Amino acid sequence: MILVISFLAIVMIASSHSADKKVHEIARLTNQVKELRSAFVDKRGKLMGLKKESFVEAEMKEKGISISLNPPTKIIVKSQQQ
Amino acid sequence: MATTETNILNRLYFVAGCMFVFALAVVFKLCSIQFIQGDAYRELAEKRSVKDFDIPANRGNVYSADGSLLATSIPKYDVRIDAIQPKDAVFEKYINALADSLHIFKSKPASYYKNKIRKARQNKNRYFPLARNISYSAYIRMRNFPLLNLGAIKGGLIIEQTTRREHPMGEIAARSIGYERVDEDGHTARAGIDGAFGAKYLQGVNGKRLKQKIGSGQWKPIADFDQVEPKDGYDVYTTIDVNIQDIAHHSLLGQLETYDAEHGCVVVMDVKTGEIKAISNLAKTSDGTYYEKRNYAVYEAHEPGSTFKVMAMMAALEDKVIDTSTIIDTKNGTKYFYGRTIGDSHRGGYGKISAAKTLEVSSNIGLATIIDDNYSKRPEKFIKHLKRWKLNDSLDIPIVGEGRPDIPEPGKSNWSKNALPSIAYGYNLTITPLQTLAFYNAIANNGELIKPRFIKSVKSFDKDIEVFEKVVMVDKICSDKTLSEIQDILKNIVVRGTGKKMYSETFSMAGKTGTARTDYANIEAWKKDRKYISSFAGYFPADNPKYSCIVVIHKPSTKVGYYGADVTGPVFKRIAQKIYTDTPIIDEVQTLDFNSSLVNEDFESYYQNAQNYKELMPSVIGMPAMDAMALLENLQVNVKVKLNGSGTIKKQSIDKHQKLQPNQTIVLDAS
Repeated sequence: MILVISFLAIVMIASSHSADKKVHEIARLTNQVKELRSAFVDKRGKLMGLKKESFVEAEMKEKGISISLNPPTKIIVKSQQQ
Repeated sequence: MATTETNILNRLYFVAGCMFVFALAVVFKLCSIQFIQGDAYRELAEKRSVKDFDIPANRGNVYSADGSLLATSIPKYDVRIDAIQPKDAVFEKYINALADSLHIFKSKPASYYKNKIRKARQNKNRYFPLARNISYSAYIRMRNFPLLNLGAIKGGLIIEQTTRREHPMGEIAARSIGYERVDEDGHTARAGIDGAFGAKYLQGVNGKRLKQKIGSGQWKPIADFDQVEPKDGYDVYTTIDVNIQDIAHHSLLGQLETYDAEHGCVVVMDVKTGEIKAISNLAKTSDGTYYEKRNYAVYEAHEPGSTFKVMAMMAALEDKVIDTSTIIDTKNGTKYFYGRTIGDSHRGGYGKISAAKTLEVSSNIGLATIIDDNYSKRPEKFIKHLKRWKLNDSLDIPIVGEGRPDIPEPGKSNWSKNALPSIAYGYNLTITPLQTLAFYNAIANNGELIKPRFIKSVKSFDKDIEVFEKVVMVDKICSDKTLSEIQDILKNIVVRGTGKKMYSETFSMAGKTGTARTDYANIEAWKKDRKYISSFAGYFPADNPKYSCIVVIHKPSTKVGYYGADVTGPVFKRIAQKIYTDTPIIDEVQTLDFNSSLVNEDFESYYQNAQNYKELMPSVIGMPAMDAMALLENLQVNVKVKLNGSGTIKKQSIDKHQKLQPNQTIVLDAS
């Protein structure tokens, strides 16, 4: 009888400890999510800045490349369209 | 007294009695704590170790039409140092290296940081700020600095994280994207889209959860569910097109800088749907740079000047009091109206010209004459048109702080005899740039007046919560005849009128220039320091319009220029050009299988040359440079080819049939 009760007590203590551990783990992961999200937005903002036409235009100016005054022409071959 | 047994027993009884009473007292106290004061104590204990936590809801994001992030909430970091935490030896070892790193990071001299940190250590400052509000990548960098990389215990590093609203696109459209900010007094400032849709969609609802203290500053949830579930904010998808916005922003910025203007705005609107594709507002700061200060396009009602002549002309055409060929006498550049002179910018005047021409050359006298001659006896009839076109009413867009237009009418305090001819050329009334744009958009959209729209939809992940459709304000602003007449005039303005400097052979535009005086209440002061508002409103392409656009620039430096076509026209043209070059021209061919004898002959002769000449120099004169290069570079001998010019080859440095040496240089001249 006593053995059963003490066994149950040990199980209870262990599970409560593991629950506590999980809370700490969740807190750590939440923080990590926040950091990664922050890193993502940071990098994405930078990428968007690099992708901007005005930025590309300024960078290419040094190389003597400027924006075309005429649009590209698209040639559609009708016989190859199924 | 003799020491007898009874004596001892008596004493013992006494002590035992005392102890019994004491025990009773203890039991009594125990019971009273447990049962009488028990509830109060239990409550107190719960308060210390159990707490109701707010679970903050994530604020929604603001996206552009193509899904780029315009506003989002991200963590920002404050980095501090506990200056007395590191041991002396450690502190001395790393202080120089840390100061150097800070110098590279924030650009002040290393000695500055060294002194500051030393001083903080002397003053026993346990909370000395090193950097505030830095991004994640900067924070990661700082965390690896000497001393700081030792962590909190050895190095004294303190990190604080806060969530802040960020615009990943930076300055671009910052004011229109907006924010929601609570100041120290608890007042909330709500600017732009973020502000307008904050409370309703973006904000979400905070949740609640009961938690129990479990040491090391952590709290454990008591139940495995939240008492109140948090509801994250919805995402708002705007109509902004990042590419058009970028071009609009930078071309406006360029013009503002060139003309050293006070402020300006540009708005691009989709003709068919009323979606705002780009909105940029820039104002000059005291140090001469420009930034998004206010939403001028939305809030600033001002005298529109010549862009309003189009409305006046349309009213007259619609009432059939004139037609486009009616001859108007604009005199020699000045004309009296009720004791006041109205002048034209062209010295000597335009003389007798057609009504259409008055608008093309933007004659103040012309428009004032048309309206005054035909409406001075019944001005209500003219004003009625403006009211039907909703020009006297704000557009009622969701962004806070929209300017209210002001159009005088008979019977109101701001009405006078002079008001009517003044309105004809855009003075004595105020409207916002966005209103003018909406009207020009209606002209482009075959008479359908649509409300400008900033929001496409509100979503929660991929699910639409609310979708915004176009709002038609007036089904048809005027007859088709008036419409096609005014469209022709607007097209001609760019071809041969006041906007002819903008004319481009490759793509078409239509619109009206505007140059209005501003701050002229004190006319003497104005003459000394002339201030204008330059504008251009219109749409493109001229036939089958896709986008309408307005550009307004306030107070350009008159030393550089102030006419609408010079100041604002280039911004308009740049955007029109951008959209033109972004749309590919589509050519269709029926089949790829066809034989052209010309092409075949050409190929045969090239092939013969390639077969015949392997080590001897062929004649490449008359060949296209591209073919000549290919032929020479594919010889069996390795030769270097130098090409001057481009086109067809005119001269070759080595005669034909000469034997070629390896690494020999052949010079070709082409033209």
